[in-house]
Parts: sequence; structure tokens; C-alpha cells
Amino acid sequence: MSEERGIEKIRTYEEINQKIKSGDAVVLTADEFIKAVEELGLEKAAKEVDVVTTGTFGAMCSSGAFINFGHSEPPIKMFKCWLNDVPAYKGLAAVDCYIGATAMSETKGFEYGGGDVIEDLVSGKEIELRAEAYGTDCYPRRSIETTLTINDLNQAILLNPRNAYERYNAATNSTDKILYTYMGTLLPHYGNITYCGAGQLSPLYKDKGFETIGIGTRIFLGGGIGYIIGEGTQHNPQNQFGTIMVRGDLKQMSARYLRGATYNKYGTTLYVGVGIPIPIINERVAASAALRDDEIFTNILDYGVPSRSRPTVKKASYSELKSGKVQINQKEIPSSSLSSNKVAKEIALTLKNWIEQGTFLLNRPAELIPNHREFKPLEVKGREPKVRDVMTREIIVSKPNDDIKDVARTLIAKGVDHLPIVDNEGKLIGIITSWDLAKAVAQDKRQLHEIMTLKVVSAKEDEAIDTVIRRMEQHNISGVPVVDQSNHIIGILTTDDISRKLVRRVIA
Amino acid sequence: MKLKLIYSRENLGKPVLSDVISKTNLPINILEAKITLNTGEMLIDVPAVGEKLKEVSNLFQKAGLIVKEITRTIEIDREKCISCGACVSPCPVRAITQDLNWDVDFDEQKCVGCGICVDACPVRAIRML
Repeated sequence: MSEERGIEKIRTYEEINQKIKSGDAVVLTADEFIKAVEELGLEKAAKEVDVVTTGTFGAMCSSGAFINFGHSEPPIKMFKCWLNDVPAYKGLAAVDCYIGATAMSETKGFEYGGGDVIEDLVSGKEIELRAEAYGTDCYPRRSIETTLTINDLNQAILLNPRNAYERYNAATNSTDKILYTYMGTLLPHYGNITYCGAGQLSPLYKDKGFETIGIGTRIFLGGGIGYIIGEGTQHNPQNQFGTIMVRGDLKQMSARYLRGATYNKYGTTLYVGVGIPIPIINERVAASAALRDDEIFTNILDYGVPSRSRPTVKKASYSELKSGKVQINQKEIPSSSLSSNKVAKEIALTLKNWIEQGTFLLNRPAELIPNHREFKPLEVKGREPKVRDVMTREIIVSKPNDDIKDVARTLIAKGVDHLPIVDNEGKLIGIITSWDLAKAVAQDKRQLHEIMTLKVVSAKEDEAIDTVIRRMEQHNISGVPVVDQSNHIIGILTTDDISRKLVRRVIA
Repeated sequence: MKLKLIYSRENLGKPVLSDVISKTNLPINILEAKITLNTGEMLIDVPAVGEKLKEVSNLFQKAGLIVKEITRTIEIDREKCISCGACVSPCPVRAITQDLNWDVDFDEQKCVGCGICVDACPVRAIRML
């Protein structure tokens, strides 16, 4: 970029606000602006349109609220506190707390979380407050149990460390099991694709150079007015994964745009509605605001690989994802969103109406959000046990034509439950368990190949133990053969090995 | 019409379904089946109404099965629904779709009552009937 970022070449914030006050501002939603650019061309559209509004409504886990309860008589220095049984963070002053969206109820678990508490507060519902304290000279009270509504609170401030991802990876599942993830329910064998983000309505993608978005930008937040207070955590703008930190008064907000939610077998969260007005201050901003769904791409990742770096299955545009079907390996896979495209449109339209009515002015950021930020993983220092450290190397194997009764005798003699079956080269081709053998005897089968399981769940020796434990849980099995790259068996790992050799660790 | 068939241990060994198919000449489709050594449950789609459906139902009952007509499967609470789509692509029979306004459409005819959508809904707007 040769020119200074954020240069107000076409119009200034003061000019825009003057027009908003006189009711002359030309405000279009991002959808409408795209059409205007198609009709008039970018240059002319940029000259005519003052502000482009955007919107998104998706699950944003890094969300929560600061609450101040006020002082009771006698007063308390709360050490721990719960709102409707959901624990809130109490490492703050006596009656301040932070309720996070992903905190879960200690009695209802996945059914109710911090996100739901925030929704219930905003809806004006009564909330149960419970707190414990150790008692001090100045704060003698040791416990409190009462109910309150949002109107009883001094402050209820939504403060979200990471919201409104510019775009997000889409998800699919290559495994033969159904997966329950933060990307929703993923059917086996690439059965479906889920995606997030509003594409051509996405607030941060509409100013991807971060030329107008910064500290102090006034925004639509949860149905009320909020502010951007800085870059969000994990802000990664150079890869179009920018994020923002936002703040707003919960007392002004609406439960239509702040909804507690649960991702099945993953956890609770909060759907947050965010809309950002993009002032068309220069042509680069206009070009970004005019980007269409078919020009905004994301990667479809395989969530069947439980790793930090999941393999990319396909690169797809938001228009492809929004069409409801995406081609993968010559097959049409159904795709659907997790964030609400309907509510995203509604937010962009609401923000447009606010500006047109003169009730919402734009402001120049005190400081722009960085357009580059190093994105670092967490390196785990110290050695963690791998499969090779825990597995049993002395393995007993069988051949497919072995007699079942002989094999049963071997299992009893050696005291093992899992028997890998290998071909003449020592390559894994099947497995049987003591349970399979019992069944075989009941059904009068004679040779191993009649009863062995052919689709063997296995492990590699350099895999992390936790990864393999999760795999065993998913398949409801108690042992896996360990194989090398060419599928030769080199060991076996059972829950027995894990509980005996890793006693300090908890196994579900 | 969708029928739920409940097998007991006694009738598990008999080819009840193929008997009914050959007697009625109807292309009955198995939507879901759970069979163990002792019990069995099957959800089937019978392309018939009125007398013909009654005939099918009677044949199963005569063979000793318990037959339940499945008329309604799930209910979507429109007040709670946020039109996100989290239930749409996980539906294995594509009974749930979204229209051009992103509103969620539900086709009772296609639904097999598996309940995947109930779990997939982040705002608990879907329930099994």
C-alpha cells in the first residue's frame, strides 16, 4: 500500500456525519452496495455511497460480561460466585465478576451456560446469585443467596475478547463416525459441510485492510450500541482471519441478537450480533466493501483429524457454501451455515436504518487495528508420553486360517484380550477380541477369518496418547494395534497399558 | 406412511418383512433398523394409504410384531429458531432445507425421526414428538 492506511480521500468522517445529521447520507447494506457497484462501476458507486453496513450473527465463544452487583449489608468480598449455577470469574474486586459464555452450569452441564445467563439477563429474567467468601475485617459476610435482574445491577457490560472473525474455516468429516464439534454435527464419510461467517456481509471482510476499523469505532452490538476496543485475540489479518474486541452496555441490548447456545457434546456459547458501518473514505475501502460471496474463499478442513493443523479438503467460495451443496470428489455434499445469514442481513439493515434516521453517527478510530500480526501456536515444552512409550512391544498375533480353539487357548495362556491378525509379511489385516471368540464358539465357527474384524482401528507410535484415548472412546474399544508406515504391526496399546503406565493421568 | 415395527425374540428369526413385501407387492423401504440377538426395531416407509396400509399393518401384527404408525416426528419452535442452518446439512435424508430468505423448511414426509437435528440445534428449538 503506497498511500497511508485510512486516508480520507473521497470523504471525511465529519462530512459523513454532517450528511447523517441532515438526513442526506447515502447508506447501503453490503448486499445493496454490491449491486450498486455492478450497475455504476466501483468509482461512481464509491462517490455516491457514504456508508456500507454489514452484519454477522454467529456463535462467538470468546464473549462474556462484566457485572457489578453492588454491596450487600453486611458486605461481602465474594471469593466464588455463581449465576444460575454457572460459575463466574471472581479474581476481581469484592462484588465484580466476569461471566464467560462457555462456562457451564454445575448442575445442568451442557444444557445451560454463561451464554444463557447473558441471554436471560438481557431478557429481564430473574437470575439466582450465589456467592461464597472467607470473611474479612472489612467484609464480614461469608455467603449470599439472592435473586436479581439486570435492572438491579450497577453495571452489566458485554466485553468480548474475540468477535466477528473476518471469515472462518468450513468443516467436514472423513472418518466413519459422526463427530460433534464446535463446527456442529459432522456426518461420517464427508456426509456434510458446515461453515461460519456472513461472507459478503461479514463486517471485517468488508474493510479487509482495516482502514476504517479501529479503537473507538461505533458499532451495532447485540441489538444496542457498542464500540470496538482493539484487535481481538488470535487476530490474524494477513490471512483474512482478523478479529475484534468489543464492548457494549448489556442493558441496551436485545435477546434477539444475544442468544445462549449449546454445541452438542462440545459446550455452551453465545450467539452475538455484530454490525459495523464502513465509511467509504477511499477506493480501496470501496473495493473491499464491494467483494462478493464468489470472491471470498475459505478452506474446508477435515475435522476428522483431531490436530491443530487439519488437512484442507477443498477451497470453496462463500457463494458455493451458501448454495447448499459443494462438490468433493465428484460428489455433491450438502453444506449449511452455523451462523445465521438471515439475522446477519437483518443486522445490516437495522444499522442502515439507524444511520438513515440520524440516531447513529460514525467516528474516526483513535487508532486503527493492526493489519499484520504474528500468529503463534503453543509449543508444549517438556516431553509428553507418546504411544511408543506406553505400548506393549511383545505382541501375540495370529494368521487368518488359525483354528479358533487354538487361538482361544493362546489368549487364556497369555492373558490378553486383543489379538491382531497379520498376513505372511506381518502386515495387519484384522483383529479379534476375547468377546469375538466367545461369540464364535457360541455360533460354532472354526477359523479366525470367519469372525475377525477387518476394519481395524490402529495407532502410530509417534501419536499423542490423548489422541489415541479419544479414538478408543469414539469406537468404544479397549485396545489398538500399533503399526508403522507400511502397516506392519509393531506393538499394541490397550487401556490396561495406559492405566498401568500412566497412573497419574485420568482416563475417562 | 411410516411404520415402526417392534420385533420380539420369537419373531426375529422369521423373514416377516419379505413375506409382507411378497404378499402385498409393495416396495417397502427400510429407513432405520436396530437388531440385536433378543430384540429388533425397524422404521419402514410403506407407500400406501387406506385399505392397503391397513392390510400391511395387519400382516405385520399377525406375524406377532408390534406396529406403530409414525405420523409426526419433530417440531421446530419458530420463536426460538435463529435460522442458522446448523440442523440443515446434518439431516441425513434432507428433510430440512432453507429457502431464499434463509428460513428453515421442514418436510415431514422425508423425515425418518432420527433426531440428529434435535442435537444439532444450538438454541434447542427442535424437539422430538
